Amino acid sequence: MKKILLSVLLSAPLWVLGQGFQVNLQGQKQIGMAGAGSALALDEASVFFNPGAVTFLEKNSVSAGVNPLLFKSAFQQSGSNVTENVKNKIAPPFEFYAVWGPKSNKWKLGLGVYTPFGGLVDWGNDWSGKYSLTSLNLKAIYFQPTLSIKITDRIGIGAGFVYNHGDVNLQRALPVNYPDGRSGHVTLDGTGKGYGWNAGLYIKTLSNISFALVHKSKVVTKLDGGTAEFDVPNSLRSSFPAGNTFNAELPLPATTSLGVGIPLSKSTALAFDASWVQWHVYQDLTFNYAQPVNGSSQTKSERNYHDGSSFKLGINHQASEKLALRAGVGYAFSPVQDGYVTPEAPDANRYILSAGLGYTPTSHFEVNASFFFEDVRSRKQKNIETGLDGTFKTLVYAPGISLTYKW
Amino acid sequence: MVGEITMKKYILNSFVAAAILFTAACKPEIETPAGTTAGQANFSKYIAIGNSLTSGYADGGLYLEGQKVAYPNLIAAKMATVGGGNFTSPFFTDAQSNGSGYISLSALVNGTPTLTPVPGNGWRDAPTNTRLFKYSGEIQNLGIPGMRVDLAFAPAFSAANPFFERILTDAQVGATTYFQYVQTKNHTFFSLWLGNNDVLGYALNGAVTVPTDPTTTLTDKVNFSSLYANFLNALTAGGQKGVVATIPDVTSIPYFNTVKPSLLLAAAKAANPAAQALFIQTGTGAVRAATDEDLIRLPFQSAGLFGQGTIPYGLHPLNPIENKWVLDKDEVAKVKDYVNSYNSSIKSLATSKGLAIADTYAYFNQVKTGLNIQGVGINAAFISGGAFSLDGIHLTPRGNAVIANVFIDAINAKYGSTIPTVDITQYRGVKFPN
Repeated sequence: MKKILLSVLLSAPLWVLGQGFQVNLQGQKQIGMAGAGSALALDEASVFFNPGAVTFLEKNSVSAGVNPLLFKSAFQQSGSNVTENVKNKIAPPFEFYAVWGPKSNKWKLGLGVYTPFGGLVDWGNDWSGKYSLTSLNLKAIYFQPTLSIKITDRIGIGAGFVYNHGDVNLQRALPVNYPDGRSGHVTLDGTGKGYGWNAGLYIKTLSNISFALVHKSKVVTKLDGGTAEFDVPNSLRSSFPAGNTFNAELPLPATTSLGVGIPLSKSTALAFDASWVQWHVYQDLTFNYAQPVNGSSQTKSERNYHDGSSFKLGINHQASEKLALRAGVGYAFSPVQDGYVTPEAPDANRYILSAGLGYTPTSHFEVNASFFFEDVRSRKQKNIETGLDGTFKTLVYAPGISLTYKW
Repeated sequence: MVGEITMKKYILNSFVAAAILFTAACKPEIETPAGTTAGQANFSKYIAIGNSLTSGYADGGLYLEGQKVAYPNLIAAKMATVGGGNFTSPFFTDAQSNGSGYISLSALVNGTPTLTPVPGNGWRDAPTNTRLFKYSGEIQNLGIPGMRVDLAFAPAFSAANPFFERILTDAQVGATTYFQYVQTKNHTFFSLWLGNNDVLGYALNGAVTVPTDPTTTLTDKVNFSSLYANFLNALTAGGQKGVVATIPDVTSIPYFNTVKPSLLLAAAKAANPAAQALFIQTGTGAVRAATDEDLIRLPFQSAGLFGQGTIPYGLHPLNPIENKWVLDKDEVAKVKDYVNSYNSSIKSLATSKGLAIADTYAYFNQVKTGLNIQGVGINAAFISGGAFSLDGIHLTPRGNAVIANVFIDAINAKYGSTIPTVDITQYRGVKFPN
């Protein structure tokens, strides 16, 4: 007998998306209203919220905004008295919009560049869930040229083509030990692209109550030739070849929204949005490696996501000619089933609270600010695949500001 | 303009307020009962009674790194939050840190491990290496490698066993039994994981009892039960509470499941396609072809016997693998029967005393199947499984952490205590050469 077969069974690096990765920060005014506003032709962010409403915007405009986001997640292993927290890292969701059309015409062109999905979670290299994940940095940047057409004075339709540029960096520890006792480590880093569309219908009734129906398609983002770097003791190197690459597909889900806008007075409007986020596209995650990793060229992890949904109610009040005040509340249902919660997206149902204000010093210039807060409910879980067993609790804070020039 | 300035101030103030809220922000809180109460137990002086597993023996030896992560030490550290006191162990000094010596994994080429001895520096009679440096301090980790339920009542064993001799005074050596020794500690709480060697010693010798070596015998079932009862009576004499552990199925450890007959035969066929079967000598003296129901001891891999000789060793009925290397199918059944009998005694005696039971028998059966704990896959495979050290019998630090939690869960469930669990991800498996 020459050999004792040694199989180092290491489960695949995981990759999980959740409501947690759906970033609901695409326009300062709407953020101030908890993310509602698809049925209000509020501003150039309608390129994202409802392309059908873009043509009803009175002015041409460009705007840019940013919402530094702090994702504060805590974990406690079942039975432990130690609470571990993610490191304070600020993710920068941003948005840029431009809308242009000849005055008093039936059409407008728009462009949106925004970050509808993303995640920045760094648990550190030595926390108790390190063999599931140490850090994730995920960015999806959507570029969306849009055409919006007024069919009647009260009905508009619009559609945009979406190109997604995605960046992913995912790291975790491997439960193999060096002679000094430290663990191995894997870093997956890749860039990908995907395509989709965004279309909306805007209807303003005779009572001035407005309705919106918007569908944002799924965007399957393909990552080709990402680098898979395994730091393992040299005696295991043949099982974890150096210079390896991977391909993977990342399905970003479709969202269908129904919106209602209700003018309460000349200066005050309510907005309500109900969204159905079609996460069922995320059934499994498969990585294909150029060179076999631990004897296998493919790893497949079950995800079995359900669809998620959210309900958001916002109010916009024009306090004076120059000052607008906003507030919103919302609730979102997680798509992540019991047994599939992970540290990448420690997801659960969540409350949303927001506030915002807008200031318009001149007819050309506008500044908007918002504060967005999410309370992700505490969730005690044992992950089916990894056995990570504990309670997650997450709070999200995102202040934001944008500048707009109109003409 | 005045209004505008006020407005700007207002916006600015709002942002300052938001920024303060943001930075102060309120870490998410998770409420926990862990670490708040000892329940009905008193952990102020915990003692751990047992064998090599309790002492932290690993990789074929007792050495400092293993001692420090012995499961009782991990449990005791967690008891500190619920009234646990100091916990002392007979640690080797830094100068003696290799203890009795152990084995390390020095190379792994195409899955073939090379195991290299690390010489012990804990022997006071080197190079004879029969006597370890004495330890005279207070001791609460009372695990003695090689200790058995039957030999715990034999005064001579305190002289014969170097690990026990090490912690005794000269007057006690050869005179004091382990059973007497463990009653001298004024404990308030105890763990008892003893009995493995009453069957393992027999199994590790290929189910061959050496008449002159009492560590190779099987302890009689009835005798086991009555001696175990003596232990529980003595340890609870002052009304103390404690936890006992069942004995794992010794046939499920890597020591008996790595060098499989089918793998040996496949290797032989690769070298010589004429090889037809693997032949073993059973406990009855019969010679027959082996199946994977017959277990071959791990050291056979490096014994340099297989296929040797004009009549190739192990591949011909006239030169079978000797009985001592093999736990044949019938011997496996016998060993399992003894384990089951001991365990039913342990459970019924502990139940009658109202003690917590850590069912390590059931737990190791799960380990054999394989399980994922906190992102770490653990199974009973040699080297790669992560739970068993390089001797294929004893636990890695990770294995000790996992077992510590089995004890903690049992204690908490029985006494309503909330000893926090051990974070197993802080403890290593086998060290792989770099």
